[in-house]
Amino acid sequence: MREVVTVQVGGFANFVGSHFWNFQDELLGLADDPGADPVFRTAALDMDVLYRAGETHQGVATYCPRLVSVGSRGSLGALSSSGTLGSSSAAAEQHNVVAWSGNVTKSVAKPHERNLFLQSLSEEEQNPSSSNDQNTAKKNVEDKDLVESLENGVKFWTDYSKVQYHPQSLYELYGSWTDFDRFDHYGTAREVVSEWSQMEEMNERLRFFVEECDHIQGLQFIVDDSGGFSSVAAQYLESIADDYTNTPVLLYCVRNPVSYGSPRNQRENITRSLHDAVSLSKLSYYCNLMVPIGLPSLSYLSPLLSIKDDKHFHSSAICAAAIHSVSVPLRLQHVGPASDSAHSSGNLDIGELVHILSDQGRQNMITALDVAMPAPSLADRKDLSNIERSLHCLTPETNDDDEDPYAVESLVVHGALDAGGKRASVSQVKDYICSAFEGRATKPKFSHLSVSPCPLPIPLPFPSIFSSSIGHQGQILSSQDPEGTRPKGSLDVVSVPMAARLRSSNDVVPFIERRSASLQRLGMARGTLGSQILRDWGFGKEEVEDMGEHLAKLLRPFYPEMDLTSDSD
Amino acid sequence: MSVRFLNQNAEVLNKSAALHMNINAAKGLQDVLKTNLGPKGTIKMLVGGAGDLKLTKDGNTLLKEMQIQNPTAIMIARTAVAQDDTSGDGTTSTVLFIGELMKQSERCIDEGTHPRFLVDAFDVAKRATLEFLEKFKTPVVIGDEPDRDTLKMIARTTLRTKLYEGLADQLTDIVVNAVLCIRKPDEPIDLFMVEIMHMRHKFDVDTRLVEGLVLDHGSRHPDMKRRAENCYILTCNVSLEYEKSEINAGFFYSNAEQREKMVAAERRQVDERVKRIIELKNKVCAGGDKNFVVINQKGIDPPSLDLLARAGIIALRRAKRRNMERLVLACGGEAVNSVDDLTEDCLGWAGLVYEHVLGEEKYTFVENVKNPRSCTILIKGPNDHTIAQIKDAVRDGLRSVKNTVEDEAVVLGAGAFEVAAKKHLIDNVKKTVKGRAQLGVEAFAEALLVIPKTLAENSGLDTQDVIVSLQNEHDRGMVVGLNHHSGDPIDPQMDGIFDNYSVKRQIINSGPIIASQLLLVDEVIRAGRNMRKPT
Ligand SMILES: Nc1ncnc2c1ncn2[C@@H]1O[C@H](COP(=O)(O)OP(=O)(O)OP(=O)(O)O)[C@@H](O)[C@H]1O
Ligand SMILES: [Mg+2]
Repeated sequence: MREVVTVQVGGFANFVGSHFWNFQDELLGLADDPGADPVFRTAALDMDVLYRAGETHQGVATYCPRLVSVGSRGSLGALSSSGTLGSSSAAAEQHNVVAWSGNVTKSVAKPHERNLFLQSLSEEEQNPSSSNDQNTAKKNVEDKDLVESLENGVKFWTDYSKVQYHPQSLYELYGSWTDFDRFDHYGTAREVVSEWSQMEEMNERLRFFVEECDHIQGLQFIVDDSGGFSSVAAQYLESIADDYTNTPVLLYCVRNPVSYGSPRNQRENITRSLHDAVSLSKLSYYCNLMVPIGLPSLSYLSPLLSIKDDKHFHSSAICAAAIHSVSVPLRLQHVGPASDSAHSSGNLDIGELVHILSDQGRQNMITALDVAMPAPSLADRKDLSNIERSLHCLTPETNDDDEDPYAVESLVVHGALDAGGKRASVSQVKDYICSAFEGRATKPKFSHLSVSPCPLPIPLPFPSIFSSSIGHQGQILSSQDPEGTRPKGSLDVVSVPMAARLRSSNDVVPFIERRSASLQRLGMARGTLGSQILRDWGFGKEEVEDMGEHLAKLLRPFYPEMDLTSDSD
Repeated sequence: MSVRFLNQNAEVLNKSAALHMNINAAKGLQDVLKTNLGPKGTIKMLVGGAGDLKLTKDGNTLLKEMQIQNPTAIMIARTAVAQDDTSGDGTTSTVLFIGELMKQSERCIDEGTHPRFLVDAFDVAKRATLEFLEKFKTPVVIGDEPDRDTLKMIARTTLRTKLYEGLADQLTDIVVNAVLCIRKPDEPIDLFMVEIMHMRHKFDVDTRLVEGLVLDHGSRHPDMKRRAENCYILTCNVSLEYEKSEINAGFFYSNAEQREKMVAAERRQVDERVKRIIELKNKVCAGGDKNFVVINQKGIDPPSLDLLARAGIIALRRAKRRNMERLVLACGGEAVNSVDDLTEDCLGWAGLVYEHVLGEEKYTFVENVKNPRSCTILIKGPNDHTIAQIKDAVRDGLRSVKNTVEDEAVVLGAGAFEVAAKKHLIDNVKKTVKGRAQLGVEAFAEALLVIPKTLAENSGLDTQDVIVSLQNEHDRGMVVGLNHHSGDPIDPQMDGIFDNYSVKRQIINSGPIIASQLLLVDEVIRAGRNMRKPT
């Protein structure tokens, strides 16, 4: 087992993370639940990779994510930064002021109301026995209410989290008069984070989790790079690169569709373009593999899904599902030389994944992410490339021609179904994918496949984003459900077969090119509004040139004919 | 806690409206912070929406906790926070001074004075006050053996504005000793060489100075000793774990066998490094009762831990980067980046190394060192917010001692300086300027009094009475400040109430700069613009 430490930075990243950890929490529960689908027990993923065992000050054993989550002050809603829900920590005795004998004034913020879901969660915690033996009819009604309350009222990522976090995990940046969520704050965020020694605290939190690891395989880093958090993450990544030199970092840059709202004026337009360019340059500089995620709209992603763009709760769910799928190979048991196993195939660690995708082919480190949610059944053999055809790209601004002979990819299929809704075996999936591969017109240069029978579990606090043609096991129903076209959620769908693919190919060229061009066009010329903005963010002329250089370098693998000799580095 | 002001939505206002908006914002911020000031100030307990607590009496911490929306207020807050950044103190005073300058200006403007006159006069007054400060300050002889009593007085003054007296006094010696421990003659003091560590302890509030270092982690092997005496310390930054350093080489194993081979090769390299360390240990510890401790910034994996444990070595991994420097200063030796040329000279020494376990948290104490140049302040408190409050106070205390050593001067506190400076401005400076500028000098002088006034107010005294009696004493040639119990004039020198020279200097410098910017607005600054700090 080799540990992964997860880092989440910024608003939407934490929304995504919240779903991600809910999946893991659900897996943990199902592995222990005799009533659950046995696949969750027999083909269990190794959770120690993502989780740590510990104990509280009272000596109670805990099992928590190895996670550092960074957000702005106030973004935790009803969850306290020590990871506990509500006021249990604020016991009356704590309100004694022990280190000051003078006057005290108290200023109490309006308590965050806990929604139905969080209420039921803490009730369950207080008397865990009651949840099982109560009459189920009554319970179902309740669950329906819970699901509905989440559909309509998620404000914070903590509103739908069922996970117990470690006290070191949740870090709130102070300086809320710096609005991290705004585009125009690259420079201010930088100041606030470095000068107020908040970066040091963030480093300490991370060190806590890394020190425990016997053999860390890498970091999984999710950042919402649509605003000032991009700059926070860039600094974080820089110090990580310094402190953990050989620890590979897999970086997901996530954006929610709302962040694409149209700019109000010319200045805002320029600001955004520059932000995107700076963000790509800075973030890619200190990671090993970067996966941009975030389409301007998800509502038409797939006819099998029904995602509401304006709900973070919705849009983050699909990102989290895809990230979960990519993380599956990192947690498959490593099998010996007699490599085939009934339970899994194709385990990888982060270093190997990076190596496959970025070092093997063109040395490109920006990869696209595709997801099939749900993955279609193997039984549907009319078209062999079915699974691959149902993959939808979550990376913005890509080509989609699938014709790159130098492409390198890593495909993960887990929980796939076969005829009659039976779980397909690992070797069936392998055969299926291999024959589909043979049928492809332009084959990628290299393709890695990881397979596990363990599907994506759908926890109760999951949004209703499935179309009505998805069945209980995530199978695609041929006939419409009699219940009509209402979107389905966690009460109707318990698990979903998934496929996801990381793809390093020339599809990402437009993404990089646009950013490189904006920096050239808007940021380089002296005396322009663009160069003024960059100066406001604290970038000198040389630094801007370096960023431009770096973006050009990201493009080079795709233009081998480009004259590189003029540039000595 | 949030502070809101009117006119939030107006992006561009006309000049006069903009001016008044600025004035109101400055006054608003002043109102929030003024109860903080001094040893009789009010501590603020902030209870967040999820029930978390913050406890602070520090202007700096409070500003950072507040949700400020008004752009002018943000600008003032930035200035004040920058004040803390450079000199470590005086945030509250800065906000009060700016607020009061704006208040005094408002009066003049309402009577028909153009802001331009005020701004020019502020500049004159500022320079005169800074000159006056040079004469007024009390020099402190530092030399090789700084005068401990003066350092204690300044530390005590600062600490007592943040903690109750008993606790403040206990900390006074600790912060003075900590700074003197790390001080190197003729070099700037690097406060990072004082580690501040904390432990949760149910009922206790206790702080002590550890001459040596406390690390917040322990060894990761069950067979390693938890306590050892007479220890050689190897401080290193060497990877002792198997990792794929090959990640960037164009190589990928095509089968599992090849993979196993790679692993074995790399393993041998790591083992080799561990063996070098063991060799040195065997050499230096031969036959004696000495022990050997490895503190590594990089990782150490279980096979390496096994080898080290079998050789009787205690090993810690993933030490903080800064602890590399601290360890060497505390124990001697040097921090090595490779095990190739290990010699005994690389090693440091500690009389005692032991582990302390609290739930899942472990601490390693490296103590009884010879001649330490780095040390640790260990804070115990019953809960996080108390620990945070004490930590803030300790930082303030350390800064005040450092400032004094570097300034080689202090300034009489308790309002004495402000009253004296006001008198100087009125008696000597006002007459050097003409016409309406005189109003500006007067306004500046009056604004200085906000400090003694607020100190009096926070002590529940009659502001007017206190100011009158202080001024009378000054008119008679006595330099006095206020006694915060009775309001009577006292000699701050006698009572040992001193402020930092550099802090005072910065308050006087930055206050008028911001006030002038606010007075000369053409339109309201919009939030989000990067406001540069005044220099
Ligand atoms: N014992 C005392 N009697 C009277 N005045 C005192 C005493 N101790 C300190 N003061 C005065 O209190 C003021 C400092 O108060 P305080 O430390 O609360 O605010 P600050 O330094 O301006 O801001 P902050 O410490 O919040 O950054 C100084 O003017 C100092 O002279
Ligand atoms: Mg102070």
